[in-house]
Amino acid sequence: MTMKRNLYKTLKMIVFAIATMATVSSCTKDEVKPQLEDGKSVIIKDLPGDVGNTVGSGRPFAPFYFKLSTGAKVDTAKKKTTEWDIAFAKEYNSYVSINNGTDDGSFGNGGPGQGAMVAVNQAYDKVTTAPSDEDFAKNAITAAGWDSGNGNGWYFYDLNTHLAIPVKNRTYVLRTAEGRYAKLELVSMYKGAPAVVTDLNWPAPYFTFRYYVQLDGSRNLSTKD
Amino acid sequence: MKRFLPLIIMLFYSSLTYAQITGRLSGTVTDDKGNAVEGVAIILIQTGQGASTNAKGQYTIEKLKAGAYNVRVSAIGYKPAMLKTTIRDNQQTILPVNIETDVNTLTEVGITGKHYNPDNLIDLQRTPMPSTVITRKQIEEMGSRRLDEVLREQTGLAIVSDIGAGARAVGLQMQGFDSGYTMILIDGQPMTGRNSGNFDLSRITVANIERIEIIKGASSCLFGSEAMAGVVNIVTRQHISQAQGLAGIRYGSFNMVDANLEGESPFANGRGSGYLAGNYYRTDGFNSNPYLSEGKTVPPYSSYTIQGRAKYLLSDVNSLNITGRFASRRSDNNKSYSGDPTRDVLKENDLNASAVLNSNFKSGVRIKSQYYLTRYATGQNITNLTEGFTIPGSNFTQYLHRAELQASQTWFNNLLITAGAGTQYETMDNDLYTGGKHQQNTFLYTQGDWKVTNKLGFIGGARLERHSRYGGSVTPSFGVNYQLVKSLTLRAAVSTGFKTPDFRQLYLVFTNFAGGGYTVLGTEEFTTELKKLQDAGEISRVFPNAAKVGGLKPERSTSYSAGFSFAPGTRFKLDVNGFYNNVRNFINTEQVASKTNGQQVFSYFNIDRAFLTGADVGLTVKATKGLTVSAGYQLLYAKDRGVIDSIKAGTGNYANVYDVNISNDRRSTTADYFGLTNRSRHMANIRLSYEYEPRGITASFRVNYRGKYGFMEAGRSNGFLDPFDTYVSGYYLLNAAIQKTLMNKHFAVQVTVDNILNYRDMLMPAQSGRVVLLSLNYRFFHNQ
Repeated sequence: MTMKRNLYKTLKMIVFAIATMATVSSCTKDEVKPQLEDGKSVIIKDLPGDVGNTVGSGRPFAPFYFKLSTGAKVDTAKKKTTEWDIAFAKEYNSYVSINNGTDDGSFGNGGPGQGAMVAVNQAYDKVTTAPSDEDFAKNAITAAGWDSGNGNGWYFYDLNTHLAIPVKNRTYVLRTAEGRYAKLELVSMYKGAPAVVTDLNWPAPYFTFRYYVQLDGSRNLSTKD
Repeated sequence: MKRFLPLIIMLFYSSLTYAQITGRLSGTVTDDKGNAVEGVAIILIQTGQGASTNAKGQYTIEKLKAGAYNVRVSAIGYKPAMLKTTIRDNQQTILPVNIETDVNTLTEVGITGKHYNPDNLIDLQRTPMPSTVITRKQIEEMGSRRLDEVLREQTGLAIVSDIGAGARAVGLQMQGFDSGYTMILIDGQPMTGRNSGNFDLSRITVANIERIEIIKGASSCLFGSEAMAGVVNIVTRQHISQAQGLAGIRYGSFNMVDANLEGESPFANGRGSGYLAGNYYRTDGFNSNPYLSEGKTVPPYSSYTIQGRAKYLLSDVNSLNITGRFASRRSDNNKSYSGDPTRDVLKENDLNASAVLNSNFKSGVRIKSQYYLTRYATGQNITNLTEGFTIPGSNFTQYLHRAELQASQTWFNNLLITAGAGTQYETMDNDLYTGGKHQQNTFLYTQGDWKVTNKLGFIGGARLERHSRYGGSVTPSFGVNYQLVKSLTLRAAVSTGFKTPDFRQLYLVFTNFAGGGYTVLGTEEFTTELKKLQDAGEISRVFPNAAKVGGLKPERSTSYSAGFSFAPGTRFKLDVNGFYNNVRNFINTEQVASKTNGQQVFSYFNIDRAFLTGADVGLTVKATKGLTVSAGYQLLYAKDRGVIDSIKAGTGNYANVYDVNISNDRRSTTADYFGLTNRSRHMANIRLSYEYEPRGITASFRVNYRGKYGFMEAGRSNGFLDPFDTYVSGYYLLNAAIQKTLMNKHFAVQVTVDNILNYRDMLMPAQSGRVVLLSLNYRFFHNQ
C-alpha cells in the first residue's frame, strides 16, 4: 500500500516536473530574421551567382551585372554601357563593384558609367541623405567585398566556422551609372538568407540584398513613410 | 621517475622471495557447482587488506595480525557474502568460500567492490583525478543506444558540433576541452579515427558495454598524449560465470532499429570462457534545419558491430585474454536546399584487437603483457550533384600498434605499486597529406596507491615518454584524500597532461573550396606548399609570422582539483569539486599569408594560453525505497588568455566591440569576453530513478540543462565572443524510460522517450527531435 502511494507520489512529481519544464522552455527555437520590407525599398532574394563553381575549380567566378531600377541582371555584352549599376564578381561573386568609366578597377572602365560608392556605418533605414560630392570624392570605393579590416567590406569570415557573416549596420550609398543616388544593403550570400548559417556547405552564392533608388535626382534616401 | 626504478626492480625481485612474518589467510573460492572462481575479491573489513583469486580460485592474504576478522567476498556475477574468521600469529588459516551465482547478471551487473580487471592493472577509479562510473544497469535504465547518448547526460560533458570542420564533425567536450583532448579507450587501449580532432561517439554501440569509466582532469601520467582533458574508458564484458544469451530489438522514431544478439558461456570445464555479441543499428537521421528540403543534420546511417572476448587459463599462473571488435558504418545523406543537391557519403571501418597474457603469481605480483592493434579507415566525401564534382573530403587509414607490459604488487599491505612500459607505432595514410606518415613513442610509467592509514591516502605517479619527433617528456601527477570525519572526505590532486601535435597539424595541405577557398598548411609542409602557391602567383602578401612556422611543441596542461565528499548516512551523498586547467602551448591556427583573391593562408602555432576553470557538484539522495534522485551541476569559465591580453592592450580588432545598442564601436573590456565558443557557463542535470522490484519495474526520468553558449561571431569581426555575437539559447531536454520484466526476468519490455518536448534549434544541428522507442529483450538462462 505504501509502495503504491510512493509510486503515485513519484508519478505526480514527474508530471509536475514535466509541466514546469514545458512552460519554461518552448519546444522549438525559432529563427529571428530582420524585417527587410519597408514599403519603399526593392528586395532581391536569392539572386544566383556562379553557383556550382568553387575556388578550386581553376576557372574564375563568372561576374554578373545588375541594374537597380529594373531589378534584373544585364547581359555581359552591355558591360560598357550605363545599362547596369553594380557587378558581382570574383570569389563567390561577393565582390560588389560600381559602373564607372574612369575607374581602372571598375568593370565599366572605358564606358560611360558615372557610378560611385561610399560605405556608411549606419543602419540602412537610418541613411536618409546621400553624402556630398566632396564625400564621394574623398571616400569613394570601387567595390565592397571581404572586410579584411579595411572598414568598408560587407562581410567577414568567422575564425572557427569559416563562414561569411555580413557586417552589421553597414550601408552603401551609390551613385548609379546614370548618376542617380541610391542606398544598398547586402544581406547574405547564402541561399535563403538564414539569420545564421549552420552548414559549411550551405549553397552559395545566392545574394539577398535591398536597395532604394531616388528617381527624382535628389539626395533624399529616406525609406520611411 | 628515477626514484621509482629501484621499486620496480624490487617488485620483480620480491616475487621470488617472501617471508611469513605473522598470520596468513588462504583458501579456494568455488561456486554453487563446485567450480573454482577467478577474480573474486576477498577483503578483510578491519584492515582493508585483501587479495583476489587466481585461475584456480585460490587466494592468499599475508602479513596479518592475530585477531578476529570479518571477510567480505565479492565478484561480478555473484552475490556478495560476509564471513568470519580468526587469524593466529605465525599460522595459516584456511577459509574455503562458496559463493552463489547471481542470476540475470546480464541485466544486473553492478559494481560491488573491487574486482580483478584483466585489461588493466590500474583501477581507473584509483587515479589522482576525480572519476565516475556509468554502469550497465544505468545505461539500460536510460534506454540509450549509442555512446554519445549516454555521455551527453553526464555532468560536465557535452556533445558539440564543430561547424568549421563540416556537417559530420561532432565530438565530446569535457570540462570545456574540445573533443581532441579527451582520450577514448576501449578496455584501456586508445581508439583512433578523428575528424579534425572530433571523435564521433555515435559510432560506438553501448549494447555490449559493461561499464564506462570517466576520469576528468589531465591523465597523461597513465595514458600519455591526448589525455589532457581526461579519459573515457569503455569496458566490454569481462566476467562470465554461466551460459546465457540475449536477443533484443528496439524500434521507433526515424525508423530507428537497434538489434542485439549476445551469447556467452564458460567452456573447457571452466578453464575458458567467452562471449560474442553482434549489433545492428540504423536510423533515418533527423533534420533541425528548416532550410533543408531534403537531407538531415543528424545524418542517417546504418552500422554493424561484432565484438567478443575469449579467456583461457593456460596454467595456475597464466591466463590468456583475446578481445576483438569490428564496427562498420555507412551513411548516405542526400541534401537539398530546395535545389543545389549534394550527396554526402561516409564510410568507415573500425577494428580493435588485443591479446593479453595475465600472470598472477602466488607472491601477489601480477603481470600483464599485451599487444593491441587498431585500424580505422574512413572515406567522407560530398558530391555536388548538379555539377558532378566531389569536394575533397576526409579519406584516410590509420593504424596503431601497441605493446605494453604492466606489473603490480602490494607492499606492506597498503601500498599498491603499478608500473608499465611499452611502445606504440602509428601510421597514417591520408589523401590530404603527401605520402604516408608515421610516428613512434616509447613510454614508462608508474603509479603508487598508498593507504597510509584508514583515513589518509595518497596516489601519485609519473610517466616518461620518448616520442620519435618531440623527444622526452615527463608527466607527473599526485593526489591526496583525507577522511576528516566519517561523513566527510577531503581530496585534492594536481596532474599534468600533454598532447603531441597530430598528423593534421604537421602534414595537412588543405584548401577549403566550399568555405571560401582559404588554405591550411601543416607546419612540416608549410615551406614547400607556400612556395608552390607563390610560384602559382596566388599569394599577395606573406606575414612576418610565416618565418616562425615550424617546430611545433606539444600542448601541455596542468590540472588542479580539490573538493570533498559529504555522506552522512547511506541516503545522502554530496560531492563538490573545483577544477582549474591551465593550458600552455595551445595549438591554434593563425593567418600567415594573404592570397590574391583576398583569402587567407593559415598554419599552426603554439600561441595561446587558455584556462578552463569551474566547479562541479553531484548530489545523490535515496528519497524513498526504490527512488533515487541525483543531480549534477557544472560551472565553467573557458577563456583564452591571449584574447584577454589583447583586449587589455587594445590590440587590433580586439580593441573594439560593435555595440548594437549605440550602433557604434566602443572600447572593449574583458567583461565583454564570454569565453571560447561552444562552452556553456552552466550545465545541470536531474535524474529520478525508480525501481519497484516485486513487479520488475524500473523507470528513469532525466532533465538535462545546458546554458547558453557561443556559436560564432556576428555584427563586426573582433576575434572574440562579445555579448552581441550569435549564441545558442539555453535549453532543457527531458528524457524518460520505463521498463518491465516478465516471465521470471526472461523477457523485458521498455519504452524510451528522448527529448520529450521535441526541442529543436537549427543552431544545434546534431540534436535530434523527440525519439520514441519500444524495446523487446529476451534473455536465455537457466532458472535456478
